[in-house]
Amino acid sequence: MAEKTSASKRQTFWNKVFNPNFIMVYAAILIFLIIYAFGAIMYGKVGFTTLRTFINMFIDNSYYGISAVGMTMVLITGGIDLSVAAVASLTGMIIAYGTGVMGIHPAICILFSFVVGVGLGLLMGATIQYLNVPPFITTLTGMFLARGVCSLISRESLTISHPWIDQLAGWKIYFKHYVDGEWVKVKPIAFINLNFILFIAMILIGFFILQRTRFGRNIYAIGGNEQSAKLMGLPVARTKVLVYGFNGFCSVLAGVAYALYVKSGWNLSLQGGELEAISSAVIGGTLLTGGVGNMLGTLVGVLLKSVIPTLITFNGNLLSWWGKIATGVLLLIFISIQTFITNYSTRKKI
Amino acid sequence: MANDYILEMKQIEIQFPGVKALDKVDFNLKPGEVHSLLGENGAGKSTLIKCLTGVNHKDAGTIILDGKEITPTSPQDAIAMGISTVFQEINLCPNLTVAENIFAGRQPMKHKQVNWKEINKRAEQLMQRFHMDIDVTRPLYVYSTAVQQMVSIARAVDIQAKILILDEPTSSLDDNEVKLLFDVMRELKAEGMGIIFITHFLDQIYQISDRMTILRNGHLVGSYNIDELTKVELVTKMVGKDMDTIFNLKRANVDPDAPYMLTASHIGIKGSVEDVSISLKKGELMGFAGLLGSGRTETAEMLFGVKSAETGEIKKNDKVVNLRQPHDAIANKIAFCPEDRKRDGIIGDLTIRENIALALQARRGFMHPISRKEQDELSDKFIKALGIATPDAEKKIGELSGGNQQKVILARWMATDPDVLILDEPTRGIDVGAKAEIQRLMLEMCDQGQSVIFISSELDEIIRCSNRIEIMRDRQKVAEVNGEGCTQQDILNIIAEGASAVK
Amino acid sequence: MSNKKFNLSDITKSKIFWAVVAELLILFVCLLKRPDFFKISYQPATGMLYGSLIDIINRSAEITIIALGMTLVIALGGTDLSVGALVAVAGAIALKFMRWDVLVYNTPGDYTVKPFALAILVPLFVCVLMGMFNGFLIGVGNIQPIIATLVLMVCGRGVAQIVTNGKQFTTQYSPFRVIGQGHFLALPMPIIITIVVIILMYIFVRKTAFGTFVESVGINRSASRLAGIDATKVIIIVYAITGLLSAISGLIYSSRIMSNDSNNAGLNYEMDAILAVVIGGTNMNGGKFSLAGTVIGSIIIRTIVTFVYYFGIVSEATMAFKALIIAVVIVLQSEPVRNYFSKKFAKKNPALKEA
Repeated sequence: MAEKTSASKRQTFWNKVFNPNFIMVYAAILIFLIIYAFGAIMYGKVGFTTLRTFINMFIDNSYYGISAVGMTMVLITGGIDLSVAAVASLTGMIIAYGTGVMGIHPAICILFSFVVGVGLGLLMGATIQYLNVPPFITTLTGMFLARGVCSLISRESLTISHPWIDQLAGWKIYFKHYVDGEWVKVKPIAFINLNFILFIAMILIGFFILQRTRFGRNIYAIGGNEQSAKLMGLPVARTKVLVYGFNGFCSVLAGVAYALYVKSGWNLSLQGGELEAISSAVIGGTLLTGGVGNMLGTLVGVLLKSVIPTLITFNGNLLSWWGKIATGVLLLIFISIQTFITNYSTRKKI
Repeated sequence: MANDYILEMKQIEIQFPGVKALDKVDFNLKPGEVHSLLGENGAGKSTLIKCLTGVNHKDAGTIILDGKEITPTSPQDAIAMGISTVFQEINLCPNLTVAENIFAGRQPMKHKQVNWKEINKRAEQLMQRFHMDIDVTRPLYVYSTAVQQMVSIARAVDIQAKILILDEPTSSLDDNEVKLLFDVMRELKAEGMGIIFITHFLDQIYQISDRMTILRNGHLVGSYNIDELTKVELVTKMVGKDMDTIFNLKRANVDPDAPYMLTASHIGIKGSVEDVSISLKKGELMGFAGLLGSGRTETAEMLFGVKSAETGEIKKNDKVVNLRQPHDAIANKIAFCPEDRKRDGIIGDLTIRENIALALQARRGFMHPISRKEQDELSDKFIKALGIATPDAEKKIGELSGGNQQKVILARWMATDPDVLILDEPTRGIDVGAKAEIQRLMLEMCDQGQSVIFISSELDEIIRCSNRIEIMRDRQKVAEVNGEGCTQQDILNIIAEGASAVK
Repeated sequence: MSNKKFNLSDITKSKIFWAVVAELLILFVCLLKRPDFFKISYQPATGMLYGSLIDIINRSAEITIIALGMTLVIALGGTDLSVGALVAVAGAIALKFMRWDVLVYNTPGDYTVKPFALAILVPLFVCVLMGMFNGFLIGVGNIQPIIATLVLMVCGRGVAQIVTNGKQFTTQYSPFRVIGQGHFLALPMPIIITIVVIILMYIFVRKTAFGTFVESVGINRSASRLAGIDATKVIIIVYAITGLLSAISGLIYSSRIMSNDSNNAGLNYEMDAILAVVIGGTNMNGGKFSLAGTVIGSIIIRTIVTFVYYFGIVSEATMAFKALIIAVVIVLQSEPVRNYFSKKFAKKNPALKEA
C-alpha cells in the first residue's frame, strides 16, 4: 500500500489533468470542436467560420447561458430548479406591462423583478430546506405559479418600447481591424452587446463564487454528502436557501437579457427553457446527483447547444425538429460518457 | 474540585418516542485523558455523543464545558464550542479533495479568497503527521475506507478543539494504522486535550484509555480507572451477564464421511482474488480469516455470484454450477449475508415481515407471491426463533438496532432453507450478547446439516466456532488449519509469514 | 396495537389522509358555490351520465393513467420526464395509420378498410419500446432517471413530427372516436378505460410480489440484488409499463381531438403526473407507494381546474391558482407539518394513543 500511495503522489500533475471531473469538460470541448470543424468544412464558404457566426453563438443563447450559471450551482447542491424559465418569462411580462401599460421606468420594473425573482427563489429554498419538500416538486409549483402570474398579467404578447430599453438593447461594440492606417469594422460586421457581456460576466462571477469563496465550496460539500456537510459544521441550511435565491437572481437576469433580445413580453415565452439550462449544465459535466460541475463546462455546454441550430440554419434544408433530435442524441452521448467515467473512476480505489 | 474536569455531563436524560434512551447519565472528562465510553449497542453511547454534539437534544440535565453551561443545538454549534467529533460512519464529502475535506468550512483565506495553496500545503503536512504520504489534491473517493477514516480523524484533530470524540474510529483500520492513530492520540493527550473514545475492540481500550465509563440500557453502570477492571469484569458489567454463560458454544460435529456440499477449485477474478480452492462438507462451519482486503469478501462474493468467477469452477453437490448473479446462487440454495448490512443487507423502509420473505419471494419469482398468511407465519416463526426484539413484524427494519437487523437478515436467508450460508462479518458492530446469539445460530444450522462459511476479523470468534479455518492473505489463500487446537497466535503467524513469503 | 385503524395520530400522519381532506374541501367549496355541483343526470338521448363529478373524472383520465405508471417509477426512486412526449408520439403514429386505407381484394368487389388495429397496436408497441429504452439507460446504463428520460423528452416530439412530417392530420373514423368520446354503461369511455387500467395495475402490482420488488429496489437496489431480485429487469418492466400507459393516454387524447398535435399533445403531462403521485403520498425518494393515493392526487389536480372554472375566476389565473392550492397541499403533507399535527392530536387524545 505504501508503494502505491507514493506512486499516486508522483503523478500529481497527471492526476490533475485526468481528474475525472474535468474529462467531461474536455469531451464537451472536443465534440464542440468536431462539430465546429464539420461546419467549417461544409459551410465555411458561406460564412460559418466568421467571427460574426461565432459571437452570435454566444449572443443567441445568452439568456440560457445566464440561467445555466445559477442552475449549475443548484444542480451541484444536488437540487433542481424547474421555475427558471417561468421566472424569466415573468420578468419580461413585468417589464413589458410596467413600461407599456403603467408607464413606469424600466429600471424600476427590473428592480421589482429582482425582488420577485430572488424572493421566490429564497421561498422555494426555504420550503425545500425546512419543510423537506423535494426540490423537483417545490420548483415545479414555483414554475406553475410564475407562469400563472404571467398569464394573469396578460395573455397577449406585449411589446416593450422604451427609449432606455432600446438604448440598452442597441448598445454594441463593433470588432474592428486596422487596415490602411485606420480602424474599420470587420466584415461581415461582428459585435458584442450587453447580453454577451452579461453572459460572460455571470460565468466569471459564477466561477469566482464556486472556486474562491467558502459559500461556493460549501455548495460542493452539500452536493457531495449533505449529511456529512452538516456534521462537518457547514452552514447547510443557509447555503441551500441562498443558492436558490441566487438562481432566482440569474433567472431574472436571463429574463432581462431575453427581453432585450426580443423586446417583448409573452406569457408563454421560453417554454421548456428550464430544460435547456439543465441540459447545458449536464453536457458541461455537471452531475444531477450533485457535487460535480463547473462553470467552464457550463459555458462549453451552452456553446455546444447553440452550434447545432447554427448548423441547421446554415444547411437550410433541414427542418427545425431535427435540432431537437440532435440535442437529444448529443445528450445521450454525453451522459453515456459521463456514466462510463463515473463508473470507472469509482471502481478504482487506492 | 469540579474544575478538574473539562467536561461534565450531569443527569442527562433523553426521551425517544417509546423509549428512554438515556436515564440520568453522568459523564465527565479530564483534560489530557483518554476516556473510553463502553456499552452494548443500544446502551446509549451514540445518543450521549449526539447529545454532546448537538445532533440530539437533551430533555433534562446539564452539560458543563470548561466551567460554563452549554446547550449545543447543532454540530456547527458544538464545533464552535470546541467539541470535535469523528463519527462512526465516515462523514466527509467524497467529491471534494482530501485537503478540502480537512479544511471545509474553515478554509484559510487570502484577499477574501480561498487560499488553495495554503490548504494543500497544510493538508499535506497534517497527513504526514499520520504517516500518510498521499496526494491531497485528489478527490477523497479515490482512496480506500482506511485512508478516508484517517482523513476524517485528521480533520477532527486539526480543528484544535478542547474535546475530541472518536466514535468507533478503528473499525476499518488495520493494525498499523491503529498504532498511528494511537500515537497521535497520545500526542494530543500530552497537549491537554480530552479524548472520548468509543470502540468495540476491548484490547484497544486497554491499550490507550485512562478511564472508562460503562452504560447499559441507557443507564450508567459506573466510571472506573482502567486498572480497576479486568476484561472479563468489564464485559460482565457491559452485558450484565457472565462471559462464560454468554459464549457457551460447542463446535459443530462433522461426520468425517459427510459429502461435500460446495467445492470451488481455482476460482478467481483478475486483479481481485486469484486461485482459491475450498471444499465445504455438509454440516461444517468453515472460518475465513485474514486482514481486511485480503480477499475474503471477494471470495465469498464469487461463491454467491455477486461477481462471477472468471477462472475455475464451482460445484454444488458435485454438480458444476454457473453463478452469474445472486439469483443463480439462491436457486442453488446458497445464501449470503453481506458485510455492509446497511448498504447491501436491509431494505430500510420495508417491514420486518417483508424483509424476511424477500429472498424466498425472489427465488419464487414475482408471479408466484407468498400469501400474506404464509408471510405472517414465516416472520412470526423467525422472530420467535431468533429472538428478534420487536413489538410486531410490521415494524420497519430500519428502526431496529444493528443486532436485530442482522438477525432479520439471517432470518431472510434461513427462510430460504439454504444448504450453504455465507456470513461476511455478521457480528461487526453489534453487541456482545447479540454476537453470541448469532454464533449460536450458526452452529445450530450446522447441526441441522447445513454448511456455514463464516468470515470475521475477530480471530477469537473464528477459532471458537470453526471446524476448519481458511487463511487469506494478499488476495490468495495461504493456508488451511483445523479450528480445534488452533490459537490466535498460530493464525497471526501464518498471516505474517505469508506476507514475507509472497513478497 | 390491536386497533390501529382508530389511532387518530396515525391517520393524521398519513399523506393520503391529507390528500382526501384537500379534495373534500375543494369539492365542498364548489358545492357551496353551486348547490347542484354533485348532481348527476342521465340523458337518455345520448345514453350517458352528465355532471361535474363525471366530468372531472373523465377529464382526469389521461393524467390518472400515466400517473399510475409514474407511481411505480417514483417508487423506484426515479422520474420519467418522457411521458408527455410519448403521448405525442402515440397520437402521431395513430393518426398516421388512420390516414391509410387498406385495399381488400374481394370477389364481389374490392373495398377499403381503415387499419384500425394497427392504429391502436403500433403506438402501444412503439411506446413500450421507448419505455424499455428508458429502462435500459437507467437499469443497465446506471444513468440518472431524470437525465435518461430527458433524452426522449427532447427527442420524442421531434420523432412525432417526423412521423407526420410536421403536419397535423385529422380523421373522422368513428371507431377511433369511441376511445375518447364514446361511452359504455352510461359512463364516458375514458373513465371505463381508466377503471380497467387501475384494476389491472392493482392486480399486477399487489396480487403478485411485483409491488414489493419495486419498493425494495427503490429503497435499496444493492441489497435487493443480493436478496436475489433482478433489479435491472424490474426497472425495465416499470419503464415499459409507463411507456404503455403513456400510449393509452395518447390514444385517448388524440381520439378526443380526432387529430394529432405533436407540439401540444401531452404537454406538461409529466409534471402533472409527478405531482399527482406526490400529492397521493408516494415519496419522491422511492420506496412505499400507493396507487389509490395517486388516483386521488390526479383527481385533485383536475378538480382544481374545475374549481377555478366554477368560481368564475378568469381562466388566465387557473395556473397560478392551481399552484397555490398545490402549494398548500404539499406544505400540509410535508414531514415537519405532519409531525406537528400528529403530535398535537396525540397530546389532545392521550387515551387514543394508548388504544
